Amino acid sequence: MTPEAHQMIEHVVHLVRKPGLAIDENTALVSSGLIDSMALVDLLVKLEDLTHLRIPAGKVQPKDMDTVALMFATAERVGKPRK
Amino acid sequence: MIAAGFRTLIDALNAAPAQREFITSWIDEDERETVNFGEFRRRARQQAVLLRQYDVAVGDRVVIIMPQGIPAMTVFVGAMMLGAVPTFLAYPNFKVEPAKYRSGLAGVTSNLSACVVVIDEHFPDEMLGHVTLGEAELVRATDAATAEAGVELPDAGTDATSLAFLQHSAGTTGLQKGVALSHEAVLRQLQSLVQALQIDGAADRVYSWLPLYHDMGLIACFMLPLVCHMPVVMQSPLDWVMHPETMLQIISEYRCTLAWLPNFTFQFVPRRTPRERWRQYDLSSARALINCSEPVRAASMDEFYRSFAPIGLKREALQSSYAMAENVFAVTQSGINGRTGPAHLWADGRRFRCEHRVDPVAAETPEAVPLVSSGQLLPGNEVRILSDSGATCSDGQVGEILIRSNCLFDGYYNRPDLTAQAIVDGWYHSGDLGCCLDDELYVIGRKRDLLIIGGENIYPQDIEEIATSHPAIHDGRAVAMGLYNPDLGTEEIVLVAEVEREELLQNGAAIESEMRSQIVAGAGVAVRTIFLKPPKWIVKSTAGKPARAATRDKLLREHPELQQENPDS
Repeated sequence: MTPEAHQMIEHVVHLVRKPGLAIDENTALVSSGLIDSMALVDLLVKLEDLTHLRIPAGKVQPKDMDTVALMFATAERVGKPRK
Repeated sequence: MIAAGFRTLIDALNAAPAQREFITSWIDEDERETVNFGEFRRRARQQAVLLRQYDVAVGDRVVIIMPQGIPAMTVFVGAMMLGAVPTFLAYPNFKVEPAKYRSGLAGVTSNLSACVVVIDEHFPDEMLGHVTLGEAELVRATDAATAEAGVELPDAGTDATSLAFLQHSAGTTGLQKGVALSHEAVLRQLQSLVQALQIDGAADRVYSWLPLYHDMGLIACFMLPLVCHMPVVMQSPLDWVMHPETMLQIISEYRCTLAWLPNFTFQFVPRRTPRERWRQYDLSSARALINCSEPVRAASMDEFYRSFAPIGLKREALQSSYAMAENVFAVTQSGINGRTGPAHLWADGRRFRCEHRVDPVAAETPEAVPLVSSGQLLPGNEVRILSDSGATCSDGQVGEILIRSNCLFDGYYNRPDLTAQAIVDGWYHSGDLGCCLDDELYVIGRKRDLLIIGGENIYPQDIEEIATSHPAIHDGRAVAMGLYNPDLGTEEIVLVAEVEREELLQNGAAIESEMRSQIVAGAGVAVRTIFLKPPKWIVKSTAGKPARAATRDKLLREHPELQQENPDS
């Protein structure tokens, strides 16, 4: 796992606030109801910070953010270098 | 450009100079597209040809569920070219709960009994099953590429009284209310705006991040530019909310002159743009940034002005307006009839709460309530303020705002029941509370949000504003509500507020006590209970504002002890 993915997992754990819950790169977050869809803007901003990319929000759907692995794949697919 | 010179919106579009810039769709620095009026007309005709292939004809409803952008706008106008009645519905985005989206969509598509539902190629499959099609056909907008060019469109026979489109009010309940508007109603409204704001299509340019399914986005930022042959630069609401700074960037780069913005934007942009970057921008081109769609807050306007005056923002550029889909758009506008901007006053706090009356006092008076007007009536509009007993209020007396105008809607589409509740004897009952004073309209809040505490009228927004001014509380994340206390026989105020960072909760008692004293000092009322919650706790609406009812429900679920005391819930 990359250090960025690790940091994202820590961020998700902080958002979910369920002590003892194990989250890895492939844990379903949105479809399982662990993450409120309103938290997704926050996750997207975090993803931009970690990848140093700019991610057009209009090109992202909830399913693209369902796991930490998918988030980084989405960033790679639609992200652009920051100016 | 005189909007009244046209019979229909399509006539107005056809009269636009082909080479004049129309819509710029801005994604980021290196992804944007601009179409001129000639190109827009060509694409809209292409969409009309496609829709005809699906037997779309005069009067048919066309539901458009596409991402914000030029393709969605060409489908909308293409439908109007056929005399059909288009409507935009919100596109599912990653912020919307699928379940909530589905239930809203199901109601609206069945009520409209649409002929076609137009979606884009990326429409999520998991949502498709929840679009109630009925007899409607599903059309993928990319099919337009296959439409034959040069095909003549039949004369739709559209006249001024024909229905032009439907627009929906915001929110889940709003989705059930399709506001039906004729070409003449829309053109009359635009005529008033052009006159009031002295719009010059060749010199002005609109900036917008507003969704097209909302009246501010559809009327002020799409129909107004279309009729005035004026350029508009727009971005998607989600892109803006993630990068609020882009508003400054776009206004600076394109020298935009006009924008309509809800009140929270005036705080959100300065607070979410790093201060060291403010100087990169230039707001000197802006001649009217119009605070619209929420009660106007003096503190928000002042913060925006203080922040950006050094980069060219003019005080007289900060304006206000009161608008709603049912009146096509605006009822009032500030800075007209020789006045330079919205009126500011301080109302006597005690009379405001106890007598429901705005009585101006000196700014430094204890408990004085700051109010900003939404401006003066646009030509062709009338307002009446109605008391609870049904009498017309005198100047300064707060009551429900009733509207009558030359562009008022005829009714909610297919909902005579809701129409009969909303329009009585030709007056539209807005559900908003406000008062008139010195020819200015002050909008104070929603009637149903009003808290009546021991006979005093308390506006939750006043308490929330004080609460969120505390440095430990997240901007805009506080909800005040009234909960019944059977021992006292009245409601008491309960406040829930999110702290900026979770660790601040350790210091909760001190924060709570500071907030209590600020609320007593500022609003003259005591809050029974304050609940401090971690970030992201408050339920937000799709528009990003705290959702009052849902937040109240959540609080009652987490604190059943409150529920027992609250027979209304």
